[in-house]
Amino acid sequence: MRLVAEAVGVRIGRTVILGNVSLDLGPGAFVGLVGPNGAGKTTLLRILAGLLPATTGRLTVDGRAMASVRRDERARRLAALFQGAGVGWPMRVSEIVALGRLPHRRAFAALGDADRAAIARAMRLADVAHLADRAEPTLSSGERMRVLLARALAVEAEILLADEPITALDPAHQLDAMTLLRAISRRGIGVVAVLHDLTLAARFCDRIIVMEDGRLVADDRPDAALTDGLLASAFGVAAHRGTAFDGTRYILPWERSGPGTKEMG
Amino acid sequence: MSNRARIRVGAVSLMVLLLGAGLAGAGAGDAEGRPARVVSMNLCADELLLRLADREQIAAVSYLARDPRGSNVAEQAEGLPRTRGLSEEVIALKPDLIIAGAFTTRATVALLKRIGFPPLEIGVPADFDGMRGQIRMVAAALGHPERGEAMIAELDARLAEAMQWAGTPRLRALVMRPNAFTVAPGSLGDAVLTAAGLINVAAEIGQDRTGQVSLEAAALADVDLVILDEGARGAPSLADALLRHPVLAELRRQGRTVSVPNRLWTCPGPQVAEVVTRLVAAARARTSLR
Amino acid sequence: MKALLPRASASARSRLAGAGLIVIAAALVAALVLASVAIGYAAFDVPSAMADLLAGRTTLPALVLWELRIPRALLGALVGFSLGLTGAVLQGYLRNPLADPGILGISSAAALGAVMVFYGGLAGSLSLALPLGGIAGAALAALGINLLAARGTGTLGLILAGVGLSSLAGALTALALNLAPNSYAALEIVFWLMGSLADRSMDHVWLCLPLMGLGWILMLSTARALDALALGEDTAASLGFDLVSVRLRIVTGAALAVGSGVAVSGAVGFVGLVVPHLVRPLVGSRPGASLWPSGLLGAALVLGADIAIRLLPSRPELKLGVITALVGAPFLIGLLFRRQGRT
Repeated sequence: MRLVAEAVGVRIGRTVILGNVSLDLGPGAFVGLVGPNGAGKTTLLRILAGLLPATTGRLTVDGRAMASVRRDERARRLAALFQGAGVGWPMRVSEIVALGRLPHRRAFAALGDADRAAIARAMRLADVAHLADRAEPTLSSGERMRVLLARALAVEAEILLADEPITALDPAHQLDAMTLLRAISRRGIGVVAVLHDLTLAARFCDRIIVMEDGRLVADDRPDAALTDGLLASAFGVAAHRGTAFDGTRYILPWERSGPGTKEMG
Repeated sequence: MSNRARIRVGAVSLMVLLLGAGLAGAGAGDAEGRPARVVSMNLCADELLLRLADREQIAAVSYLARDPRGSNVAEQAEGLPRTRGLSEEVIALKPDLIIAGAFTTRATVALLKRIGFPPLEIGVPADFDGMRGQIRMVAAALGHPERGEAMIAELDARLAEAMQWAGTPRLRALVMRPNAFTVAPGSLGDAVLTAAGLINVAAEIGQDRTGQVSLEAAALADVDLVILDEGARGAPSLADALLRHPVLAELRRQGRTVSVPNRLWTCPGPQVAEVVTRLVAAARARTSLR
Repeated sequence: MKALLPRASASARSRLAGAGLIVIAAALVAALVLASVAIGYAAFDVPSAMADLLAGRTTLPALVLWELRIPRALLGALVGFSLGLTGAVLQGYLRNPLADPGILGISSAAALGAVMVFYGGLAGSLSLALPLGGIAGAALAALGINLLAARGTGTLGLILAGVGLSSLAGALTALALNLAPNSYAALEIVFWLMGSLADRSMDHVWLCLPLMGLGWILMLSTARALDALALGEDTAASLGFDLVSVRLRIVTGAALAVGSGVAVSGAVGFVGLVVPHLVRPLVGSRPGASLWPSGLLGAALVLGADIAIRLLPSRPELKLGVITALVGAPFLIGLLFRRQGRT
């Protein structure tokens, strides 16, 4: 599946929320969507998920306009993970993950064998199988994130769009989650994740898309996208670059760049 | 309060009030000591006042007096000032006699007593004698006792006329007033049924303390005559809607209903005899039907 | 495979439990309908009346059975199902465990609509105007609640708005009844604000049944969307649900079911609040799973309350809303305390 945006934009009145974004997403890559607060990352993600119509430009799925794709087909092929709303009721983990099968179920039909198999695969992949009968309020934030990810994986879509999947996690769980997302992409699923941690994004993603003020300002391999100049102009930070003990190169946002922002004294 | 206790209290307050009325009348009345500015505060007081007093004596009647559905004196009330029974309205009229119901506008009555305008309070008569006594009492307070006697004589004549046809066998009757109220034993309405030669079924089916019966109990009590007010249909209400209930419609189809306007037997007056006349006629028609 | 088996059987188990509960609750409702028909104010040979009825003999007992006892029982079940179902749907949709058509002001707005139509004389010329008036009132209230929810008003904010709306609609109902030209009207306010099934007839059943049924279908059709909405609107939309359609079905369905019910029985409170909370421990927290059981248990609750009213020695009989409030108000206070303990 190819999800292609051509000069996509959103305006509310005269305010440009998103302008002229063009990008091309396909299977098997882990794409990090980064940018400072208010750069339009979540808006772009919602457009890509087909939840928000673009006011200008064109969004296509395998060459067909997104608007002409039936809602249920879109739901089966494009999974989206939003965590902001939480889980409204103390449902059991297996019930939450099963929600991912809703796009595949006929009206009034119960879960079929294929559904149950997909749920089991998703839970195994996200390592939540042992939590199946736990109620949602008893989970830690790391467990909850993995359960919601399993829910999105249960859709078995071709592209997974995830909004800030690791923001609420501690360092160990962040590493686990990034490893998991990359592993999912290696299974042929296109993964796009809104991320704030540039170090982890640069280390795990195959490709980084940088947003600034509603515009796309970089779209490349991590080391090509996250240049010193871009880090300064888009994020206002200077990064320390180094090589880890295993030989991997890393970047670490170290201090604010530009005048008057350095620490006093 | 039992009816007897109610009457006793009524009688005591009557004596006190007559004194009060006398005192008030002494100052403001005409040459013959009649009150000259009388205010009545409920419908039954309105009806007695309008029928027993000279028109010049009347300062105001209640707002209900002019409603033709409820009032027997709507025409006579035309052109007279009306009140809603508020203290300030009543006091502003500078009355020398106030006639109030024993169970209505209690706050105003209490206030009037406190500030020295004790009203003449009329209760709900429990039988024909109570009714006669009330007519006499009001007529005396208005300074026209002879008109009271005339009204009683008219009532008695019409009652005697109607009752001579009151028949055997005694039919079973049940009154259904709006909101399923009935006529409880020991009330004037019960006395009217008895006078018409009817058995009040309400006594059997255990109507509750406010005198309500359910439609179901009414339908299953094997009643010969269900007495309703099906007169001029007023504005919509649930009470009126109940009259169109299919169970009542069936009773009506079977000739078991008779319509009597409630206003005829809400208040004391010669029109109560009219109810007896209608009930006797209905009972005779029903007996011949059976 | 080893991990798969217990999970599959667990979900099958809960589905079985859900189906079993629906069967048991339906049997309970059927039993209560029969009890409601058998219990009344006058000694009454129900089987012989039934025989008359079936043979087409219009005897008075047959008529009392068909036009008083049976409609009273049916209306209890219909109104109760509507309230329980609407409560479960609203709680799921608003993700608000305190939502209830009474608490959110939908019932009292429906009563206001019905009162304006009834005492304005419209229902006299067209009997369908009565439920339509109730539905219009309920729809306006439900839309208002929706707008507030869409603006991000929280759980307690919505409840407060509902309390305000209830008081306003109650006051306007009192005003309308006092201004009504009929002198009995003022006495009838208790019926509209507390609800009653006394002296209804089969006409009332026919009047509200089709509209209610349509409302039920609309609300029941949102079961899966309600499940998805547990994860928020974006996730539900990404799972393929048209949220505009879902909102429309819920508002219309709630208005039809509650509005037509209130128009024939007055506003009965708290059923929609209490019932989903009783159901959840049995079927789990998945909102869609609670719809049928909540409807059935709502029917059982209203039927039970209406039977209690006739067994209690209080005469004139208590209004339905008195009993449901005696059960529901302490329940609401308990829920509020539990919430407070959590946050």
